[in-house]
Amino acid sequence: MNNCFAEMPSYTYAVKAAKLLNSRNINCKIVRNDKKCGYSLAIYGKCRNAADILNKYSIPFNIPDEPLRR
Amino acid sequence: MIINFDNAATTFPKPESVRRAAALAMEKFGGNAGRGGHELSMRTSEALYSARETVADFFGAQPENVVFTLNCTYALNMAVQGIMKNGGHMIISGIEHNSAARPAAKLAAEKKISLSIAKIYPERQKTLESFKNLIRDDTKAIVCTIAGNVTGQILPYKEIAQLCRKYNICFIADGAQACGIMNIKMSDGINILCTAGHKGLYGITGTGLLISDGKFKINPIIQGGTGSNSESLVQPDILPEGLESGTVNVTGAMTVKAGIEFVRKTGVENIFAHEEKICRRFIQELKSDKRIKIYRDGISEYAPIVSFNINSIPPEKTASRLAEHGYCLRAGLHCAALAHMHLGTENGTVRFSPSVFSREENAVRLASLIKNL
Repeated sequence: MNNCFAEMPSYTYAVKAAKLLNSRNINCKIVRNDKKCGYSLAIYGKCRNAADILNKYSIPFNIPDEPLRR
Repeated sequence: MIINFDNAATTFPKPESVRRAAALAMEKFGGNAGRGGHELSMRTSEALYSARETVADFFGAQPENVVFTLNCTYALNMAVQGIMKNGGHMIISGIEHNSAARPAAKLAAEKKISLSIAKIYPERQKTLESFKNLIRDDTKAIVCTIAGNVTGQILPYKEIAQLCRKYNICFIADGAQACGIMNIKMSDGINILCTAGHKGLYGITGTGLLISDGKFKINPIIQGGTGSNSESLVQPDILPEGLESGTVNVTGAMTVKAGIEFVRKTGVENIFAHEEKICRRFIQELKSDKRIKIYRDGISEYAPIVSFNINSIPPEKTASRLAEHGYCLRAGLHCAALAHMHLGTENGTVRFSPSVFSREENAVRLASLIKNL
């Protein structure tokens, strides 16, 4: 799946994840959640790759089904 | 004229870069970190994260394990109460500050935990044995100051950390008098490091740090808004937000960042050497007066603090007379009753504590004044 939102448990983890993904050439930015309090990462690229990297670094996240609309 | 030799309480003056950081925070970073998506909040959130990264890098931790607190007392309360929430046995050193000793004693008085106090000796091995002999099957945590706040005595914290690792005990270190002066790292075996942001790290007052290695869960003692999972009435257990309910002191965090950068640039070893040189000169000047007792033995290692008394003069009186001449020294019990019991100084001592900005000639003048009291 290309382009998605990854819900993050906190702003701190959102920044940590964004820095990690951007350093690996996966473009992303921190956005405020639409429906509930908190932050997500808007990931512009292969979500599976992004998820693998976040998992590797034990960064908690959740990618809901809804794809990112650019 | 004010000459501050009470830097163990809080350092003053602060570096120029710290003052600039405080001003910048007030000018540009006035949002509520982690609480919104608008530019002001996001900008402030980024600044706070940057401060976390600086702290994490300095102590060898992960940014998400850096919790900003009001001061070291809050950090120690959070650690002691958070780790001991479900009971068990705790050991504290015989020279702990009240910020660790009081929460531990309260839990013990309420029969929620059992508490042992480890006697401290000048010899590191004897102190280590003292802790070791108190360990039981149900020992959950050891709280130990890295350097005592009354005499500056440095305890064998790395060896105590090793002991904790061997018995799977949480090691909580009080770094209030050591951080910024000694090279303290989480890799020394510390599970939870509590420290002030406004002492050796040169941040403003109202700043403290709790840094975890992530191994032991710390139950929050305060619940509230964390900026995430707000739909749930259950406090998130994720760090740092789970332990940072309410609006974080971003201005303070930015000054801690600037303070750490200042300490890094100056060099921890250089700061220690400068302050200890002043302490040694101060001691040397006082030694000729037989009325003066200095609380340093010939065996222990010390952080740059000197506690002393003049035979017939109560410590508060001494400090008060020195204050008339512009010298700021702290007298009394220094919020550390255990340490004074250990020293046998029930009426307290007078404490001399320089900073990186202190000057040797002022210590010499002060010593001369003391000898004439």
